[in-house]
Amino acid sequence: MDHTDIEEQQIVDRYVMGKLPAEEAERFEEHFLSCPECLEQLELAESMQRGFKRAAGQDVAQIAAARQLALVAWLSRLSRSRQMAVLAMALLVVAVLPAGLALRELARERSATGLRNSEEVGKLRSELDASRRDLTAERQARASAVEQLAQARQPQRNVPILFLDAERGGAGESSVRLRLPRTPTWIVLALTIEPPHQPSYSAALLDAHGHELWRGGDLRLNESDSLSLSLPSSLLAPGDYTLAVEGLAPGRKPVAAGRFAFRVLG
Amino acid sequence: MSFDAEREPDEAAVATDLVRRIAAGDSAAETALVQRYSRGLLYLLRRLGAPPELADDLHQETFRIVLERLRRRGLDEPAGLAGFLRGTARNLMIAERRKTVRRRTDADPEGLERAVHPAPGQLSSVLHDEEAAIVRRLIAELPTDRDRQLLLRFYVAEEEKESICADLGLDSLHFNRVLFRARHRFKEHLERFQARQGPAARIG
Repeated sequence: MDHTDIEEQQIVDRYVMGKLPAEEAERFEEHFLSCPECLEQLELAESMQRGFKRAAGQDVAQIAAARQLALVAWLSRLSRSRQMAVLAMALLVVAVLPAGLALRELARERSATGLRNSEEVGKLRSELDASRRDLTAERQARASAVEQLAQARQPQRNVPILFLDAERGGAGESSVRLRLPRTPTWIVLALTIEPPHQPSYSAALLDAHGHELWRGGDLRLNESDSLSLSLPSSLLAPGDYTLAVEGLAPGRKPVAAGRFAFRVLG
Repeated sequence: MSFDAEREPDEAAVATDLVRRIAAGDSAAETALVQRYSRGLLYLLRRLGAPPELADDLHQETFRIVLERLRRRGLDEPAGLAGFLRGTARNLMIAERRKTVRRRTDADPEGLERAVHPAPGQLSSVLHDEEAAIVRRLIAELPTDRDRQLLLRFYVAEEEKESICADLGLDSLHFNRVLFRARHRFKEHLERFQARQGPAARIG
């Protein structure tokens, strides 16, 4: 085996990442069985890659970013002309809707003057007030959406990441703690799943009373045999939580794959 | 990738010699075979997903099967000894997985899982935290943002070398050099940490 080629083609790193084609992986395995130098490099590469992933919270950031940037991604996939069309549409809604409502208000005012029945006038005014409230709420919702979009365009900083290992034995007090951020953000949970591994998993987030807050299915392990989930911090209040994970295999009953506890502090 | 330049002729010659001597009843050759392939086999089994204790058991079982076979019949292609060891280990691991699936129909599958897969130790957590700390130090030490990007894109985003080089305007040589230096520095930091912690702090 040519160690120059191994170095040149990053065979060790690619093997550790699981990116080597099956045939090459087989030949490399046969080589490293009797090659102390390559074994050293393999252990070092595993250690280094684990360190990088742990430090960067790679999977978690990807998922959090993927969710938050879904809208941005959709916009960016559109052609420039379509982006302009979406923008124009948004401006039209902002500009025309208040004007339309004002005209409607004016028309109603005018017709109201012709009405002698004061009850009808009062009814019309309350409808008008309701329309104004709707408009205000719509403006606020839009402003909030614009703000969220602007945030989603920015890199997420200091996303809280919890690395959780499955509980062993009886459910004791969790040692993993999370202090809720002051402003709403995403919280990322990285669950280390012990073998034997299943094709997919489901997870349920339970509060201290066992009430299910969230459930997700069809979760797949990443290269590090972990499941990564991102949750909006608004979903959590101070208290104890458990993530119950089940392994799913076609034609088989779900099998418990671990319970992961953590405590949220206010 | 070329597999034939440096070691393969040696490996083939050594393997052929070992197979021939074991078939002739040479117990020293059996010891030499175990010494030569033991570490790699153990690594392979762990890589295939065997927890440490199971890996130890399958490691022993692989050598038992291979040695019995070599004593009785030798190998059709003695130079392929490494392939035979690898195939035996993989088959044992597959059989073990099947057994575990069957066991899951027992009354207390969770209990069995707990017994088979003990919780990751505290030491292991400390080591993994240290690995992350070393990576942060490593990143901070890099002279250019381009090198930082290179490592993050390769190790974290797992992008292909070609696309990273194309995006950052690097040639293959520079890419390899950055990776080599990073690995070297990582190893230095790791060894320093292990020296501080004593012999138990071995990452593997």
